[in-house]
Amino acid sequence: MTETRAVEAWTLEPLERFVAESGARLTLLMTPAGQVLAQHGFMRAVDVMSAAALGAAIVASTGEIARMLDQHEFAALNHQGVQHGIFLGAFDTPRGGLLALVVYGPDSSAGLVQLFFEELARGLVAATPAEEQPKAVLAANFEEELDRSLASLFGR
Amino acid sequence: MSLVNFTTREITCKIVYYGPGRSGKTTNLQYIYGRVPDNRRGRMVSLATQTDRTLFFDFLPLELGSISGFTTRFQLYTVPGQVYYNATRKLVLQGADGVVFVADSQARQLDENIESMQNLQANLIEQGVDARAMPFVLQYNKQDLPRDLILSPDELNEALNFWDVPSFSAAALKGTGVFETLKAASEQVLRKLSQGEPA
Amino acid sequence: MSTVFQRVLDNITRVRGVRGAMLVAGEDGLIVAESLMEGVRGNAVAALAASLQKRFRQAMEAAAVGMPHFLHLQGEDGTLIIVPAPDGMLVVAVGAPDMNVGLVRLEMLRAAESIS
Repeated sequence: MTETRAVEAWTLEPLERFVAESGARLTLLMTPAGQVLAQHGFMRAVDVMSAAALGAAIVASTGEIARMLDQHEFAALNHQGVQHGIFLGAFDTPRGGLLALVVYGPDSSAGLVQLFFEELARGLVAATPAEEQPKAVLAANFEEELDRSLASLFGR
Repeated sequence: MSLVNFTTREITCKIVYYGPGRSGKTTNLQYIYGRVPDNRRGRMVSLATQTDRTLFFDFLPLELGSISGFTTRFQLYTVPGQVYYNATRKLVLQGADGVVFVADSQARQLDENIESMQNLQANLIEQGVDARAMPFVLQYNKQDLPRDLILSPDELNEALNFWDVPSFSAAALKGTGVFETLKAASEQVLRKLSQGEPA
Repeated sequence: MSTVFQRVLDNITRVRGVRGAMLVAGEDGLIVAESLMEGVRGNAVAALAASLQKRFRQAMEAAAVGMPHFLHLQGEDGTLIIVPAPDGMLVVAVGAPDMNVGLVRLEMLRAAESIS
């Protein structure tokens, strides 16, 4: 079973609706810097991060080209493959810009994804909670655990 | 900016390796990639030219494990060093939680190091980031080259380390200093997070 | 828009009760040409009509009854008609419940033929 997971809980419901309606195989919601807010269909967290980094890079590159041409940023990009298509769309929320990267197969289409992407963007804007005050995350003595984690990572 | 999920207790941070062309940024990531077990890392993504110079960025996602009960992941990026790739450097720098500046210790590369450092500061300022508040680590790479070709860490500190941030001697091809650099950068990023500020 | 496409769409929308007609890329669900009255959500109709046609085609293949020539969906407030053209294109029309379906069908079949 493919899974839908959200780092930011408010994104989950609009994302699940989008996946069900559009027939998307994989979907990533992320910030323009490539930080993942929610995902559907990826098995490994590290693969999600790679896809997000590449998706954010594509949007950033075309945004830069648009800037050089003195144009508005491209709202959406669609790469049509033989079996799968990739759709990348950007939209604004009260918490700043977000990006969606969608991989769809022959059981969906660019039109369908584009159509429900607009609904997804509206749903996310409506669901955006007010900005929270940053709060302390890690215990003050986290260094010891970090040392252990890094040592085990490097096999030391 | 770091993403923290209190429900699933996950933290994701972005560290960017910056520096002049051929200073060894990609080598740092390649060494880390080679040393980390498969299940703790993703695929290393390299958008490079045919001659293996970084065109857009290298990217390596790492699973650090659990810290203070949070599953902690790091995204390591490099920027292309060559002067004319500034637009892509700015894009990669966007949303960074910490920066590792990889300097080339060769004496003849000093001007390139200084120029790249100034470029980093200009790009951070342009993005509205206070460079002094950014977790920042310096690495003096290629310290294994013959003494007469390189500057000492003290000399490099004098030339590049204006803010007295942690600095490390390294020979990234052999792995010397790579771990220490990453550890110091990780610590700074997480310390900022532990103080309740978004990194 | 190509004048050929415009002409075939005009022939359909000329029929009384038709509120809009479109040529849609069947695989993508994207509009190629359109002649729509205000209030018809062209993009949504195109995407969903293409998706529907794909499903019907699969169902008919599974039932071994050949490819669909004509899909006619009658709703309370109107009618949706889809005619697949060669080369994967679709001719789509939206109209009032009482529109002359026979005439619209004829124009849509002609349109499908002329754009191939």
